[in-house]
Amino acid sequence: MLKKAILGVFVIFAMSAPLAPAEAAERALRVAVLSHSPPMSYVDASGELTGFNVEIMLALCDAMAVRCEPVGVTLDRVVDGVAAGDFDFAAVSLLATPERRARVAMTKPYYRSFSVWFARPAVKPGAGRVGLVRGGAQARYAQGHGWATLMLDTHDAVIAALAAGTVDATLLPMPTALAIQQDVRIRALGLTTTVVQDAELSGDVCLSVNPRDPALLERLNEAIDQIKRDGRFDRANSRFIPFRLQ
Amino acid sequence: MTVADERSGQAGGHVAPGGQRRWRAGTVFGTLGIVFAALMVILVVLLAVDQQVVTAVAARLQGETVPWTLERQRLGRNLEALRLEGLRVLTARDAGGRDEALFVVRMLAAQPGVGDDPRAAELVAEVEGFLTRVAGGAGRSDMLEWEALSARLRLLADDLSVEGGQRVTVELERMTRVMRLSRYKLMVSVLLMAAFLGSSLFVLRWLLILPLQRIRRELSALDGRAAPPDMPLATLAEIRAVGDALVRFHATLRENEEVRRKLEHLATTDGLTGLCNRRHFMGLAADELARAARYQRPISVAIADLDHFKRINDSFGHAVGDQILQGFAALVGDTLRQTDRVCRYGGEEFAFVFPETAPDEAARLADRLRERLAAAPLLLADGRQVAVTFSIGLADASAGTLEEGLAQADRALYAAKARGRSCTVVAEPRRLQP
Repeated sequence: MLKKAILGVFVIFAMSAPLAPAEAAERALRVAVLSHSPPMSYVDASGELTGFNVEIMLALCDAMAVRCEPVGVTLDRVVDGVAAGDFDFAAVSLLATPERRARVAMTKPYYRSFSVWFARPAVKPGAGRVGLVRGGAQARYAQGHGWATLMLDTHDAVIAALAAGTVDATLLPMPTALAIQQDVRIRALGLTTTVVQDAELSGDVCLSVNPRDPALLERLNEAIDQIKRDGRFDRANSRFIPFRLQ
Repeated sequence: MTVADERSGQAGGHVAPGGQRRWRAGTVFGTLGIVFAALMVILVVLLAVDQQVVTAVAARLQGETVPWTLERQRLGRNLEALRLEGLRVLTARDAGGRDEALFVVRMLAAQPGVGDDPRAAELVAEVEGFLTRVAGGAGRSDMLEWEALSARLRLLADDLSVEGGQRVTVELERMTRVMRLSRYKLMVSVLLMAAFLGSSLFVLRWLLILPLQRIRRELSALDGRAAPPDMPLATLAEIRAVGDALVRFHATLRENEEVRRKLEHLATTDGLTGLCNRRHFMGLAADELARAARYQRPISVAIADLDHFKRINDSFGHAVGDQILQGFAALVGDTLRQTDRVCRYGGEEFAFVFPETAPDEAARLADRLRERLAAAPLLLADGRQVAVTFSIGLADASAGTLEEGLAQADRALYAAKARGRSCTVVAEPRRLQP
């Protein structure tokens, strides 16, 4: 049901928004994007797909002068899909872990991040039932440490599970943690937060690229430098994050 | 070029007998060309190196310095964000707002980028500690402490922004320095090239043009009768060869001139007496008659013959006869005026032409000659003296041809012989033909 809704949103989005008309003749790049992961990429109140990574994708495609076709996916499909060549690249913030680097090409880091532990009071990391998004570095970490987990498809679903009491805690990437802290349902829970700087949960954040397209990787790296120089990166930053990502 | 020159040319330079070194033109101009090419290569390499440096600096500016500067500015911006969030923590109306602000502060403080600058890391940790401590409620002294922290945050944010710009400025200054240096190098190189070209022209002028001009001058003044050309020792072997050839050519010209003069002498003089020969005399006398006729001046001709010369030859031998002829010729040359012409007309006959002279005056000249001849008898080796006399016939040649004049004089000579020899007879003036 949820997947159908996601797909529906993207079909409409893809049909209504030719991103780079000048490059109409060229094949549009298929770009994987998440749809329920604020503030990075989500559907806003008016039904528009938006968020930091969506803005970055638009800016990068514009800088590369190519047409991009966003395709909605869940996080657990991102690495597989990019590795299989289903997507040219993914506008999804991925911690550049060795496992991911072995499967897909990674751009230069466009910012650095860490993870945040959200839990009901007195629930220490590793204790209680932890709600996680399938396919995330945090999910892999929890499984590796043998935590009791509930795997979900989206960050929105994690918030809902926390609010509903289905889970006692969650481990989230920093930008998502900033968004969740804003959520009224979460605020009411009075959760405790802990910054986790563990090596597996922090570090360089990159975009993943089809490993069989090194030219695209090169162009994306140049485009990242360019949008950081011309201010488009900072404008997207200011719209969705309360401070500068570094 | 001679064989010797060829051999010396192979060795490049060669010390000439004069002690001066000489070079082949190919060696000289080849060396100049190589030096010029080397200068060009050095100039191009210098410029290429500078371009390389500028390109490298520009690449670093874009690839490293500008991103670094932007990160500095982002960090400065985050310090400002931290200050605002800190203010929110201290002034929030409710616990929810305060917690939210404090959460953002903690996220901000945990940012890996903050750790990039030690001053920022230290200050941010201090601010985070302070805000966490006073989140429950800030007293008056806490607010004062916050003011100080807030001021430090602002200053550090400024410093970071300025430092970012500073580094770009330093890189740009470095690039400007390289460009300026490059410009100086270019200027020096251009001056060097100009100096080289100038000195090349000077060398060209000195080695080639001046010697060629000298050769041209000497060639146009070349004359077998004049002094040999004065060719200074040239540095270029080829020029020197031309100079040597010029000197040899002049020597040949001079030899030819001498031969010509000898031949001319042989052709115009009588071998025994050294007087004009008859053919040459006829030409000279005809010119004198023509001149006299043109200006209507008096002129006389004469033919003299030594008396009894055959008898002298028979008595004393031909050698004495020849001596008599030579003595008479010498006396004639000594006695006559410079303008008078005389020749050995044949055997012991002599012909004369006296320009500007009427027959009477010429007769006086003839008498004077006769007196001097009588006063100077020829002294032979055995001590005997041989006295010689001559007869002479004179004629006015101011009207009529040379042949007519000479024929008249000849007739007068016969008359003199008939009168008993050793006398002068002037031909009667011709009667004008009706």
